[in-house]
Amino acid sequence: MMNLVSAEWLKLRTTRLLHGMIPATVVLSAAAVAGAVLSLDGAAELESSEGIRRVLSVTGTGALLMLLVGIMISAGEYRFGTAADTFLTTPRRHRVVLAKLIVGAQCGLGAGAITSIACIGIASLLYNIEGATFPFGDADVWLTLAGTVVYSTLFAVLGVGLGSVIRNQTLAVAVALAWFAVVEHILVNLAPDIGRWLPATAGQAIVRTPLDDLLSPLAAVVLLSAYGAAAAVAGLRVVVTRDT
Amino acid sequence: MIEVRALTKAFGAQRAVDELSFTAPAGKVTGFLGPNGAGKTTTFRCLLGLAEPTSGDALIGGRPYGDLVSPRRHVGAVLESMGFHPARTGRDHLRVIARAAGLDAAGIDPLLEVVGLRTAVDRRVGAYSLGMRQRLGIAAAMLGDPQVLVLDEPANGLDPGGVSWIRRLLRLWADEGRTVVVSSHLLAEVAQVVDRVVIINEGMLVAETDIAALTADRVTVRVDRADLMQSALRAEGADFEMLAGGVISIEGRTTADIGGIAARAGVTVTELGQMSAGQTLEAMFLAVTGGDRR
Repeated sequence: MMNLVSAEWLKLRTTRLLHGMIPATVVLSAAAVAGAVLSLDGAAELESSEGIRRVLSVTGTGALLMLLVGIMISAGEYRFGTAADTFLTTPRRHRVVLAKLIVGAQCGLGAGAITSIACIGIASLLYNIEGATFPFGDADVWLTLAGTVVYSTLFAVLGVGLGSVIRNQTLAVAVALAWFAVVEHILVNLAPDIGRWLPATAGQAIVRTPLDDLLSPLAAVVLLSAYGAAAAVAGLRVVVTRDT
Repeated sequence: MIEVRALTKAFGAQRAVDELSFTAPAGKVTGFLGPNGAGKTTTFRCLLGLAEPTSGDALIGGRPYGDLVSPRRHVGAVLESMGFHPARTGRDHLRVIARAAGLDAAGIDPLLEVVGLRTAVDRRVGAYSLGMRQRLGIAAAMLGDPQVLVLDEPANGLDPGGVSWIRRLLRLWADEGRTVVVSSHLLAEVAQVVDRVVIINEGMLVAETDIAALTADRVTVRVDRADLMQSALRAEGADFEMLAGGVISIEGRTTADIGGIAARAGVTVTELGQMSAGQTLEAMFLAVTGGDRR
């Protein structure tokens, strides 16, 4: 299993997928943080509990890109025709899927951690410029950043599962973008009671977005983990049983 | 050794492979021939564990592919459906396989030398020609120094020099005692190198024979009166068939036998000879593919 995880990392390194995706994730999240800081008015508002949550909750913005990375880790094998070689090496295919889930989670974790550090740096810098003090001692700050790491990790796992079920990479990416950029927003607005049980909305709860109708962060972690586990199990099942 | 036993693979009502049985022994190059769509690739996919047979078995050394421990050390395969990530270099493609298979990466560079890709190792596969990709695929198959090699249409995309290189490689492998199975829809590509042929059509076995068996006891004759000659052969109880161009092919008789029959029938022989393995094989293959009717 160590060989397989190591091989999956080698696949990522040699295609340079992450060379673009991790900086993009960081830049996207940092830009969202900067935008949130600039949208708030004055030190008082920036330093308020609500203000801090509005600034830091957008650090989860990059999680969607980690979902796409997850999709590419699994569906990319079919896109480029390397799946046959992979399964010739490892005919016990569940091991391949497990290795991909592990590597996806590691990518999400790493990208989430880098994003968190970058975001806190940008935020504290902009707070200084705005004449406010960034509340490093506030537990909310650290819980939100931990939430960013969890959100990013679980979304990457969700992506690996999704890309295993829908092996046409373009289709999987299109489905993911359509769902998270359009469908889920509409559902949340139409029916918030249902909406809060959906994956990206659970993610927003994990990063403590100051919105009504969200689950508690802990409940949201459990829910998004369940989505990730369901996608992983579905992906395992499809990859093991379907012909290549 | 490869054993396929009553292998069937159905896609819905369509049987791509239908109760197919054959063997490919060690130390021989077995040509797996048939027209496009005959079921060759599907058979290989079942053999390599990439597709689940509907029924029957496809075994390598007595076991299904999925039961092999370290399969890369036992079996090397090149399938047409295999691709490469265009951003990866040739060397990195092999490193990925070696890493996953637990093989020593030290063997990669010498292998790339063997397949003639030494100068291209650090180039991205996206910039490779079709022939270079085929060579990289063969390198990947050889990575674990396997005793069984399965190649699906390996000559596709290769220039004449490449095709002859493949032939030498197949011969070398078989002479080293490995089991080599090579599929082709073009007989000419493999006719010179195969020791044995398995011909399939519409998923079913048409012929399975050693080339050595084909040369023996097969005589072809061309006469001025083919009708009289056929009656004479029938009267003699000879096993014969008409080939293209008025040639009659007779099994189990010598040229002297046939000359005698012709003389007694009073027909003039214009050509008489032992059929070469290549001719016999071609006749069999054309009969299957319908190529002689085109």
